[in-house]
Amino acid sequence: MYIITMFEDMGKIFVKYWDLFLIEGLSATILLSLMTVVLGTVFGSLLALIKIGKLKPLKWLVNAVVEVIRGTPMLLQLYISTFLIPVLIPAMNELENKKLLCISFTLVLNSAAYVSEIIRSGIEAVDKGQTEAARSLGLNGTTTMTQIVLPQAVKNILPALGNEFITVIKETSLASTFFIGELMTQYHVIVGKTHNSLPILMIIGIIYFILNFVLSKALGFFERRMKARA
Amino acid sequence: MLKINNIYKNFGKLEVLKGVSTEITDGEVVSIIGASGSGKSTLLRCMNLLETPTFGEVWMDGKLLTPVDPYLHPEVIAVSNTYKKLVAEGMSDSDAIAKIKAEDLLNEKFSTAEGKEYKKAIKKIYDENHLDINIARQKMGMVFQQFNLFNNKSVKENIMLAPVKTGMEKINAAKRHNAWVSFTNLFKKDKAPLTPITETKKSLIEKAEAKAMSLLKRIGLEEKANVYPSTLSGGQKQRIAIVRALAMDPEVILFDEPTSALDPEMIGEVLDLMKQLANEGMTMVIVTHEMGFAREVSNRVLFVDEGYIKEESAPDELFKNPKDARLKDFLSKVL
Repeated sequence: MYIITMFEDMGKIFVKYWDLFLIEGLSATILLSLMTVVLGTVFGSLLALIKIGKLKPLKWLVNAVVEVIRGTPMLLQLYISTFLIPVLIPAMNELENKKLLCISFTLVLNSAAYVSEIIRSGIEAVDKGQTEAARSLGLNGTTTMTQIVLPQAVKNILPALGNEFITVIKETSLASTFFIGELMTQYHVIVGKTHNSLPILMIIGIIYFILNFVLSKALGFFERRMKARA
Repeated sequence: MLKINNIYKNFGKLEVLKGVSTEITDGEVVSIIGASGSGKSTLLRCMNLLETPTFGEVWMDGKLLTPVDPYLHPEVIAVSNTYKKLVAEGMSDSDAIAKIKAEDLLNEKFSTAEGKEYKKAIKKIYDENHLDINIARQKMGMVFQQFNLFNNKSVKENIMLAPVKTGMEKINAAKRHNAWVSFTNLFKKDKAPLTPITETKKSLIEKAEAKAMSLLKRIGLEEKANVYPSTLSGGQKQRIAIVRALAMDPEVILFDEPTSALDPEMIGEVLDLMKQLANEGMTMVIVTHEMGFAREVSNRVLFVDEGYIKEESAPDELFKNPKDARLKDFLSKVL
């Protein structure tokens, strides 16, 4: 019987607060994860270039940072950055949305660390013979990279990057600890008004699931098309 | 044309080549034979610096491709501090040089222990002779065992890529040069001449495309111009890899076991094409396990074993009268 009342409550709550779920929460989640993945990819590419490059000291530094990020919990990193960054950069305290900035920074750094591994392994998975053939024809390193290696690496990288996007969408829920307005934050907001946890959690779960399911199907479709073209 | 001088190659502690010297003259077809792991592929790859030799020098058309190896230049040794010390101790000039060579007494590349004069001598030889490896490789084609056609390019694009890109590099270099010259001309009375640029990107592409199509026609694969390499048979891939090298008008082509990855029925078509090239006077260096082919087309055969060239002579001589014991053993197994 409780289950049926729960479904009824889910319906009522969704009808009443749909704008909090879909307009405020979902859009904030999508925007936050989109920004994280885009910036994470940009910085991740830079980190990957350093990793496959020849500058040893820089390489060590990047590897150390990546290992620390991969070896500590995301929630811990979020806590540390929200406390640490304003201390390191006092000017941040005057900003209105300093919390959002700190959290975005952590999310991007985190994503960049994972993406840099994805890109590095994607580039290294390209057959060495391809590089050798290009160099043996007298092409320089840059042309070889842009004409031969990267176009082939992209095929290895894109599917993994899509999975990273899905992971990030789920990870942004951790940012709700700091009340920054994404989907999971709306749970705290709405539960404060209705005092009924479970239906809200179920609704949020369904929204997350639909979002990620659609995304992963779309990625699978693109992956198959890319394979068919190759 | 191509001269390799006392090449050593170590992979970590493994010594693959232990002092190999030979010279490939214009129009010569040289086969390199030897057991697996004898260092013959490494030797070939050292010729176009896909592997950097640990010691020794590679010269092409009188130009140095590797860094200077001081042990090959007595005049460099003669200005080193080690040599001066030995001579001061009462050793004769030639003895001192021989001792330094034999016992590897010169200090490491980056230390300054050998003095400024020594560094200057090395820099002088390098500056006078060295040629950028990318320029050298444009005249030195290579064909690989695994074909290594570019998977992301169509057959035609595979052949056109290097001529177009290297051509563009030359145009851009000329443009940069001209920009600099015309800038400095502003401050000069007698104006320096600009380098004429005759090619454009469009003309380069048109030329490369015409050349690619004529090369494809030559091997009878015109209809494959727009397909991707994954749809081709091994024999077709390898013949396209050969014409891809030909598209750069190379002075020499290096073949690294070109038929080893092929199904038996496809070996013939690749060897036929290579034979045609040999007959046209192309300079070729071929690492191969096809003894019959080596015997038929080469002017000279090198037998590489344990990191040395154990025997080198005309093919009839080498196959009929092998002198080295290891070569006799090797031939008895493969023939």
